[in-house]
Amino acid sequence: MTKLKIELMVNRKKRKIEITPSTRLIDLLRDDLQLTGTKEGCGKGECGACTVIMNGELVASCLVLAPQADGAVITTIEGLGSSDHLDPIQEAFIESGAVQCGFCTPGMILAARRLLEENPHPDEEEIKRGISGNLCRCTGYQKIIEAIKLSIARLSKSDSGKAK
Amino acid sequence: MEKQQFDFIGKNFDLKNIGKVTGKEIYSSDVHIPGQLYAVVLRSPFPHAEIKKVDYSEAEKMGAICLGPNDVPNILYNERIVSIPEKTYRDRTVLPQDKVRHVGEAIAACAAETEEEAFAALKKIKVEWGKKWPPLINLDEAKEANAPPIYDYVYLGEERVDINNNIACERNVEVGDIAEGFKEADEIVERTFNTQRVYHMQLETKSAVCIPEADGGITVWTTSQGIHNVRILLGNIFNLPLSKVNVKRITIGGSFGSSIQMNSITPICVALALKAKRPVKLVSSREEDIYDHAKYPLRTTLKIGAKRNGILTAAHCRVWVEIGGHNIQAYPYLGCVAGWFASLYKWKKLKYEGTAVYTNKVPTCALQGYGNPQINFAVECLMDILAEKLDIDPLELRLKNYVGKGDEFWGQGPTVRSIIRSCGVEEMLIKGSKLVGWEKRTLPSKKRGEIRKGLGVARGFHTSGTGGPNLGEVIDYSSATIKINEDGSVDVLTALMDVGGGTWDAGAKVVAEVLKVPYDKVGIYNGVDTRSTGYDVNTHATRGVYCGCGAIKFVAEKVKEILLGYAATLFKDLPDNLELAYNDELGQAIIYPKGLPENYKTVDEIAKTAQIKSWGTMAYTGSLRQKNCPPCFITHFVEVEVNTKTGEIKIPRAVIMGDSGTIINPDLWEGQIIGAFSRGLGFGLLEETKYSSITGNLECNGMITDLKIPSSVEMPKIDSLTVQSAHTYEPTGPFGAKGIGEAALSSVASAIANAVYNAIGIRFYELPITPEKVLKALEEKEERSEKIAD
Repeated sequence: MTKLKIELMVNRKKRKIEITPSTRLIDLLRDDLQLTGTKEGCGKGECGACTVIMNGELVASCLVLAPQADGAVITTIEGLGSSDHLDPIQEAFIESGAVQCGFCTPGMILAARRLLEENPHPDEEEIKRGISGNLCRCTGYQKIIEAIKLSIARLSKSDSGKAK
Repeated sequence: MEKQQFDFIGKNFDLKNIGKVTGKEIYSSDVHIPGQLYAVVLRSPFPHAEIKKVDYSEAEKMGAICLGPNDVPNILYNERIVSIPEKTYRDRTVLPQDKVRHVGEAIAACAAETEEEAFAALKKIKVEWGKKWPPLINLDEAKEANAPPIYDYVYLGEERVDINNNIACERNVEVGDIAEGFKEADEIVERTFNTQRVYHMQLETKSAVCIPEADGGITVWTTSQGIHNVRILLGNIFNLPLSKVNVKRITIGGSFGSSIQMNSITPICVALALKAKRPVKLVSSREEDIYDHAKYPLRTTLKIGAKRNGILTAAHCRVWVEIGGHNIQAYPYLGCVAGWFASLYKWKKLKYEGTAVYTNKVPTCALQGYGNPQINFAVECLMDILAEKLDIDPLELRLKNYVGKGDEFWGQGPTVRSIIRSCGVEEMLIKGSKLVGWEKRTLPSKKRGEIRKGLGVARGFHTSGTGGPNLGEVIDYSSATIKINEDGSVDVLTALMDVGGGTWDAGAKVVAEVLKVPYDKVGIYNGVDTRSTGYDVNTHATRGVYCGCGAIKFVAEKVKEILLGYAATLFKDLPDNLELAYNDELGQAIIYPKGLPENYKTVDEIAKTAQIKSWGTMAYTGSLRQKNCPPCFITHFVEVEVNTKTGEIKIPRAVIMGDSGTIINPDLWEGQIIGAFSRGLGFGLLEETKYSSITGNLECNGMITDLKIPSSVEMPKIDSLTVQSAHTYEPTGPFGAKGIGEAALSSVASAIANAVYNAIGIRFYELPITPEKVLKALEEKEERSEKIAD
C-alpha cells in the first residue's frame, strides 16, 4: 500500500512519519510513536479515552485520520508532565483521589486542561459540561471535579506568580 | 473495640497513581511485543445456528494464521473456576464445536502482520451454516417445553447433566416452615420485581497478548481479576504444565466483575500464538466487548409477612434469571442471591427457589454485587410497601428486623456463613436520617406542582470475601512473598489484583504498618506474574482488603519475626525485648531495646548488616484463608425530583453511610462509594441492553451512547452528596478492616425507587425507571383517579 509522509509536532517534538492513508491518529500515536497514554475505549468517538489536544482543540484521536494531522500541533498526556515534574492538574488528580482504574484519566486530564485554558475559572456546572464527553465508569466523576477545582486554584496562583 | 493508632493505615498518600496520570501505566492493550501479529475474531451473525464447516483456506492464502473450531482443543471448560470443581458447570470450548448460541459468539479468528491485513483475511473465511433457530430472547419463551434446546447436556464437575426446557440450573433453600410463619403474620405483601441487563462498560475492552516461548510454554498478558485462575485454565486447555504457563499481573482498565472469569478472547489469542509460533495481540472492539458480557437480569416474586408491630414472620422468594448462551456462574449466583436475601432481614422462616434459564443472548456474569443490587431492589421496595401497610416508618421497620451483630451472615450462598462481629447498621440509619432531614419527609399525597420531590431510603451490604468457618463451595485464599531488601526497602510479591479500588495501595499500607517501614519504600506495583507469586483466587466478592491484604498482613508479620531475630543478634538481646517503631523525624523504621528508644538501630542498618554478614534475605512466603465473611454495610438516603411533565428524574441530594470497619484508603473508600452511586444511578434510571427478538442482535449496535452510561452531568452537585462512615472495627480483618466495593452499589437503585414512590405515589417494579415509564404510569394513575371520580 502507498505510504504518505506526514510531519507533525507531538509534545513539542517535530516528528516525520510514513503512514498508510487509512491510519488513524490514535494508531499513529500509540503504535508508531509508542505514546500509549492515549487509550482506545470505543473507537467511535463516544467515550473520550483517546482525547488529545490538536491545534488547541480537543479531538477524539480515534476519529481523526493521521493524514488530517499533517502539520498539526498535538499534545498527548505524555506531553503534559513527567513523574518528577507533574502538571498541576495531574497533581490534583492524585491528591483528590480522582484516579481509580486510570483508563479514562489521560483523556480526562487533557479535557480538563483544555477547559481551563478556555475558561480559567469554571463553576461546577461548567466543569461538568467540560468533561461530559469523557466517560468514567469508576469514580462517579465527583473526585475528578474536585481535582479540577483544586487545580483552578493552583493554576491561578502560578499564573499570578508568573505575572509578578 | 478501641481504635488503634496507626502510622500509615487511614492516611492518604500522594505517591500512588503517578503512572496513571502521566500515561506511563501499561495495560494489557498497551503491551507491544516486537514481531507481534494482530488478531481479529469472526463472530456469529446468528443467535442460534449450527456450524457445518469453517473454511479459511482463502484467508490462509493471504498469509494469515487462522483458527477454526477444529484448531482448538476439544476441552469443555468453565471460564470461572472460583467455585470448587464439583459445583462448576462446564458448557463451552475455546471456539464452539457444534453451534453458536448468541449473536457475537466467536467462530474463527485470524492473525496477520497488521490489523488491516487480519481484517482482510477474516472477510475470506467461509462459514457453512446448518439449521438455524429463531432467538430465544425472553425467559418465558426460553423455558417453554417446545422451545429449541440451546444445550442437550452439559457437565457439572465430571458428571453429565441433561438440560431440559433450557433450564441451566436450580437452587432451593428452606429454613423453617413458611406456611406456619405466614399464619402468624397480620399483614402479608407480595409483588414481582424485574431488573434489566446492564453492560459493565469497563473502559478497557478485553485484551490479550501471548508470546509462545522457545520451551513450548506461553507468556500471557490479559485483562483479568485473577491471574492464577487464567493460568490454570490455559494449562488445562492447552495441556501445558503450569510451570510453562506464565500470566503477567498487569493493571486493568476497570472490570466490575467482567474479568473474574478468564476472558473469552484470551484462549483464542493463545491458540493463535501457538499456531503462528509468533507473539499475537488481540484487543476486542467495544462492540465485541458489549457482545461478551452483561449483568444477570433478575425476576423476583417476593412475599413477606409481619406482625402488626412490624416484626417479620416469614418470606418466600422465587427468582428467575435468564443467563444467555453460556453458564458462567449461574449456580453460585443463585446461591449468593439466596444469601443476600436471607441476610438482609430476620425473616425467621424462609423459602427460596431459584432457576437459571439459557437464552440466545450475551452470556451474563457478575457485575458489582453478584445479584445483590437485583434482590435488594425487590426486598427494599417491598419493605417500604409493608411499612406503609403497617403504618410504620420505613426506618423503624428496618431497625426492628435487620440482621446484625451476633447474627449469621451468608457471605457466599447457603454454604458460606459466619457470625457478624461488627455492624454499623443502626448508627448509619439513625445518623443518616438526621443528616438528610428524614423527619421533614412528607407523604406522596401531600406533594404538589410540576416538579415533585421525594425522599427514599434503602440499606444493603456485601460480603468481604468468601471465607467461612466451613469451606463451602468456593475457593478463597491469597498469598504473598514479602522481603526486606538490602537497603531496608520492602518488596511485596502478590498475585492479588487491584481493579482500580486501591487494593495495592491498601496492601502497601498494611505492610508499612506491620514493618513500620515508610509507605514509599514498599514496592507492590507491577512486575510480578504467576511464576513469581503464590496462588490468589481473584479480586472479587469485595475480598481485596479483607482477604488479600489479610494474607499480606499475615506474611508481613512473619517477616517482622525474622527482622526482630536479626536485630536481636545485633543487640545481643532477645527478640521479645525489642520494639519496632516508625520514627517520623528520621522517616525510618527503627528497632530498640524496650524502654531505651535512644539506643535504636534503623531497619536500613539492620538490612545492610544482614547482607554484609551473609545472614541471608529476610523474606517469607505464605498463604492465608480468611475464615469469616464479614458484611460491609451501606445505607442510601436519596432525594429525587420527578418532573411530571417530562418524566425525567433528577437526584439533587443524597446521604450515603458506609461501614467498612477501619478504613485503610479514605480517599479511595469515598471514591468507590461515589463511583458506585453513579453506576447505581445508571442501573436505576438509565441503562439497559436490549435485543431484537427477530435477529437476536443488540439494539445498541455497539454504540455506548445508546446504553446511556451516566456522564458527569447526571450526578448531584458535590456539596449535595454526603458520604460518611460508621464507627466500627472488624476484629477478624486486617487492622479492623472489611470491604466496601460491591456493598456501595447494592441499595442505590432501591433507594431511588423508594424516593420516586415518595415523590409521586407510584411504585415501579421494573428497572430502569425511564422518563417513558414515569409518564405512562402518571397517565395511568390519572385515568384511574378520573374513573374513581366518575
